[in-house]
Amino acid sequence: MDIAAAALLMLVLFALLGAGVWIGLALMGVAWIGMLAFTARVPGDAMAVTVWGTASSWTLTALPLFVWMGEILFRTRMSEDMFRGLAPWMERLPGRLLHTNIIGCTIFAAVSGSSAATCATIGKMTLPELRSRGYPEDKIIGTLAGAGTLGLLIPPSIIMIVYGVTAEVSIAKLFIAGVIPGILVAALFMGYVIVWSLIHPELIPPIERHTTLREKLHASKNLIPVVLLILAVLGSIYVGVATATEAAAFGVVGSLILSALQGSLSRATFGSSLMGATRLYCMIALILAGASFLTLSMGYIGLPRVLAEWIAGLGLSKFALIVALMLFYILLGCFLDGISMVVLTMAIIIPTVQKAGIDLLWFGIFIVLVVEMAQITPPVGFNLFVLQGMTGRQITYIARATMPMFFLLVVAVLLIYALPELATWLPEKMMQH
Amino acid sequence: MVGTLASVLLGIFGRLLDFYIRGTDAYAGYCMAAAGFLALAHTFRRGEHIRVTLLLEQAGAARPWLERLCLALALFASGLLAWYSVRLAWQSHTFNDISTGNDATRLWIPQIGMALGTGLLMIALLDAFVGAWRATSVLPSAPATPSHVE
Repeated sequence: MDIAAAALLMLVLFALLGAGVWIGLALMGVAWIGMLAFTARVPGDAMAVTVWGTASSWTLTALPLFVWMGEILFRTRMSEDMFRGLAPWMERLPGRLLHTNIIGCTIFAAVSGSSAATCATIGKMTLPELRSRGYPEDKIIGTLAGAGTLGLLIPPSIIMIVYGVTAEVSIAKLFIAGVIPGILVAALFMGYVIVWSLIHPELIPPIERHTTLREKLHASKNLIPVVLLILAVLGSIYVGVATATEAAAFGVVGSLILSALQGSLSRATFGSSLMGATRLYCMIALILAGASFLTLSMGYIGLPRVLAEWIAGLGLSKFALIVALMLFYILLGCFLDGISMVVLTMAIIIPTVQKAGIDLLWFGIFIVLVVEMAQITPPVGFNLFVLQGMTGRQITYIARATMPMFFLLVVAVLLIYALPELATWLPEKMMQH
Repeated sequence: MVGTLASVLLGIFGRLLDFYIRGTDAYAGYCMAAAGFLALAHTFRRGEHIRVTLLLEQAGAARPWLERLCLALALFASGLLAWYSVRLAWQSHTFNDISTGNDATRLWIPQIGMALGTGLLMIALLDAFVGAWRATSVLPSAPATPSHVE
């Protein structure tokens, strides 16, 4: 196994992906070819056993449950309630209601595992409200697309489950590690909006009506259900009474109760949330199945080891490695979705990362941040697609509006590189319990 | 077809939650696997399996051929998967393979779901392939509202 053969295999993979073969099946095909060409092993039975093992693994059960929870909440009136609860508090901040986008997404991210879902759920409410009040459209879209990506960083997070399963890192720890960086990113976004509004005060519509503290507090009661749900899900993980999967089940039951209390739970919405969640999960499962077989095949071939040695031979510093990886993922993120990006590269990159002495928990947060960037980079960025569907604007316009958020995410990566404790402190604290 | 699938999946998910609360980890895994595999074909037909469509959209006149090539390759991969899934379930049955967990399930029972699901996916792909060859049916392209997954 040399670098040329490895490059050839990678080329085949990218040719298959580029041609438009369904990603999960493409991964399986390449794994098959690789095993047949470079090892003496028979691929067939190993494939079935690996795929079965992944598809029925207990750790993974958190994933369909969190997906389902997101689908239920998407069909409730939660975003309206949150907007009503948050809006009065924002009137004094420079940038006013633009912050409802960011804080709304941050809060919703704590009950949702996905970025596009966060973006769609919050945007459903804030887009028309902010537009009718005359806020600048590019800022509405930019903050929404950017803050929507927090759905990945703030637990629960589908991408963290995928990473945890492939890299064999505790999902509960990953979840807790994402909290502080998530708040940090939200703060960066809000800081940007504040600075921008101080420079362009004429573009922010005036306050409609001052609300009293009493009214503010009264409006805040709309936030109670979502806060309870967050406590049930994250609290149970943090204090250690529940694993990620158990917390996910709490979440599903909690959101069902919530939607029943709101009166938005009917046979139809229940059915459509269930079917929607099943299809979504199925889509992810096929990719994961393909990836697990690819990982196995790569392991037999020895490609990750070769690559790790090759990169170690380059003598890159840790910082240079991280920057190189970030550029690599940004490039990859232009064409691939986050989950495919993670499963595709984990099989190959983990040994390199370990060899460089990088903590896998920290690396998980790094990966989530670069996947967040991938969500908002054209031509393939899911949040851009969501907003394209919701606003009817050109994808180039949306991408331009989101650019500042992209750079803020780069800043966030550099910050957690400089201060790794941002990611690792809280999970360590949790383990001491 | 969709109706029966829906009821099957409804049952599976309901059971999943129920069993899981009782702490039967392995069964949650089996149910999840069954739900995932059985939905493969349905998800494919809805055009919700993820793929890179960048080149396809730019291909113009070559698009039908590229589409056929993709389908052929995917058919091959799914065929392999289906064949060996059936084989896995069959071997588990023959050797009376029992789960290593504390549930001691005979593994061929949940593995039937995998064999069936991957088989259905292969049939769906075959159908789409034949359709694309005769140019009678056009595959649904990516859904208008992208999946809420990421």
